[in-house]
Amino acid sequence: MTRVAIVGGGLAGFSAYQTLRRGGLAASEIAVFDEEPDPAAAWARRAAAIGQTHMRSESDGHCLPASFPGLAVREARRRGSAAPVLRSLAGRYNPTVEEFLDHVDELRRRSGWDESVRRERVERIDVDPEFFSVGGVEAPHVLVATGHPGLNVPEELRADPRVVHAYEPHGYAREVTVIGAGLAAATEWVNALAAGAAVISVRRTEPVRRRLNVPREWFSRRALDGFHRTAPPERAAILRTLLAPSYPPGARWDEPLARAGARFRIEAELNGSEQVICATGFLRGFQHDPLLRALATEHDLETFNDWIVLDPDSSVPALTDERRTLALAGVAAQWAFPAADTLVGAKYAARGLLARIQCRTR
Amino acid sequence: MSYTLRGRIESRLAALVLPLAACCALSAALHRWWPLELCGLMVAVGVALDLQLYHRLLRYQPGWVALPLGLLELGLMLALVHALGLEAPVVPALLLFAAAWAVAQGLGQAGFPVLRLSYATDGGELGRIGIVSGAAVIAMLASAGGYWWYRLPPVVHLSAGVHQGPLVIDRRERLVGDRGAVVRGGIVVRANGVTIKNVTVVGGENGIEIDDVADVVLDGVTVSGFELDGIHVRRTAVTIKNCEIDALGNTYAQGIDISYASDKRDSHVMGCTVVGGQEGIVTHFSNASLMDNRVSRTTLRGISMTEMSMGMVEGNEVRDATGVGILCNDHSMCMIEKNSVIGTKRVPGSEWTGGYGVLVAYSSEGELRDNALGANPRPYGAIVDSTLSSR
Repeated sequence: MTRVAIVGGGLAGFSAYQTLRRGGLAASEIAVFDEEPDPAAAWARRAAAIGQTHMRSESDGHCLPASFPGLAVREARRRGSAAPVLRSLAGRYNPTVEEFLDHVDELRRRSGWDESVRRERVERIDVDPEFFSVGGVEAPHVLVATGHPGLNVPEELRADPRVVHAYEPHGYAREVTVIGAGLAAATEWVNALAAGAAVISVRRTEPVRRRLNVPREWFSRRALDGFHRTAPPERAAILRTLLAPSYPPGARWDEPLARAGARFRIEAELNGSEQVICATGFLRGFQHDPLLRALATEHDLETFNDWIVLDPDSSVPALTDERRTLALAGVAAQWAFPAADTLVGAKYAARGLLARIQCRTR
Repeated sequence: MSYTLRGRIESRLAALVLPLAACCALSAALHRWWPLELCGLMVAVGVALDLQLYHRLLRYQPGWVALPLGLLELGLMLALVHALGLEAPVVPALLLFAAAWAVAQGLGQAGFPVLRLSYATDGGELGRIGIVSGAAVIAMLASAGGYWWYRLPPVVHLSAGVHQGPLVIDRRERLVGDRGAVVRGGIVVRANGVTIKNVTVVGGENGIEIDDVADVVLDGVTVSGFELDGIHVRRTAVTIKNCEIDALGNTYAQGIDISYASDKRDSHVMGCTVVGGQEGIVTHFSNASLMDNRVSRTTLRGISMTEMSMGMVEGNEVRDATGVGILCNDHSMCMIEKNSVIGTKRVPGSEWTGGYGVLVAYSSEGELRDNALGANPRPYGAIVDSTLSSR
């Protein structure tokens, strides 16, 4: 019997799956819907495209349900050295992409993920008073973790043959214009300079420098309790501030730009570069996700600007009651958890779902 | 980790359950209160800092910050131990703190997150575990406090006026004298756990006699008119503080004599004033620390540690002693520091009364440091196989 259907088998769905498994659900009780069985495939493609070598978050940025033992402990065990753990305690441990992907593979094998995955695309979720129908499966609880709805390329550039998105495979021309001011843009600056290109940074605003996109306190009830009490306009304003593009401070980012001298410059407008890289992230808003848009429209869900309004535990109030739960994970769940598009965010949504399931079981 | 206030306190109390239980066990095994007192201080200091400082200053606390915060808490705890006069041995106390800190770190970094998946997101709050742990800590401290209260000896007030002695105390009690309370004929202590406070004793063979008991405290007693010793202690570890002993005119008396207690805990004599008599404060075959006392006009020695005694003579003022100011004698080991010995008089004819400020004699070892020795015929000396060193 399927108790939970997870729509979307990317890292958000995978992390949620691990949490549900830890919460006592068997692999056979969870159905994951995605055409791609490798949970890290999409993410790994994007990371490779921007040449990302290290994870931005530290050791708890992994898919295990508990923050301990994290990747630092894993690497320490593997290398027989305490250095990763000490670096993690000092907040200076950023695992490599390779380490992270290897861990995902290990978890995938260990957790029965492939047993739960159904390789199909979910176009719609049918709602019954007691359950949901997803891809021919009836389940009382559904977690929608469809991820980012698509790459964001400014409309005026969509037909421009010079344009490539940062998350698409690309090389570097002799002169490259990078649009954006977040981590992907910063990575492109550094990589293009390293490839010998001249780089022009075009940005609407000056980038914010912080270690994580969403500051740490927003990952905990310390800030979340207040966040959940805000009225929709205030909450939307907070989210816009928190989601402003940023990249970490540090010499790793600053030195290559300083060394480049005239090869790196900032301009306000797009110019005649040979290549234009849009490091402009993803499309924002549930409207860009056909599944969520259909749910919101058909069931008249409460929305505010780009967001579906959620309860603090990431569930959709109009489709959740004593018998069933429909919850969102990943970027679509920012209304409940500002850092929802992180692995911690996916686990947050899964724990919320788990609490509802366990509450009902008791 | 970004703690909520409740999360900080719950995490702290839950991490202290185990150390507190160990402290209870240690206290019971040692029959001493210091482990529990230390644990109580750990709880108090930690929770106070959580409430007043950490929650306000640390919106996010990286793992490494636990180290400086631990050192801060240790410093505050040691200051409080000193300020409250708790008698905790330094090394075991440090080990206890270090163990408690290590347990807290282990639980905070690994145990709690594994036990409760939402630990970090909940800001350190532990739900039921937090409530139960908090209750357990409060229950343990309350039980210990209750037991301490229950064990407090009954207080007996001695009213103002003269009470004919000798007064024999043969049960555990606190004898507290009202202003003007006088016992004539001496006090004899024959029970463990006796405290005598603010009582004046006049006369008696010995002013106050304590023999083969334990945990005796004399605080603020005044003794005069006795025949032999002002305070006579045998086979007992005592704490004597703020006493006044008058042996003027009694050439052969001793102010305080602590003897044959080498197998007991250390005795302490602090802040006492002894005037007259043959010896002001003397120990035989005992471990003692004699600190911040004032001894004057004795006819043989001011302060004496003798017959395989061992201990500290520190911060005392010895004036106008005849013979020797401070003596370390007969296979004793004495640390003699920061004393002031002035105006010792010499009695011709013997080395033992040669007017030494400090004399180490008869196979004894004396270590001198920062003493002020003035107007003594001989500032210091070592005789008969003895050694005198200074730091």
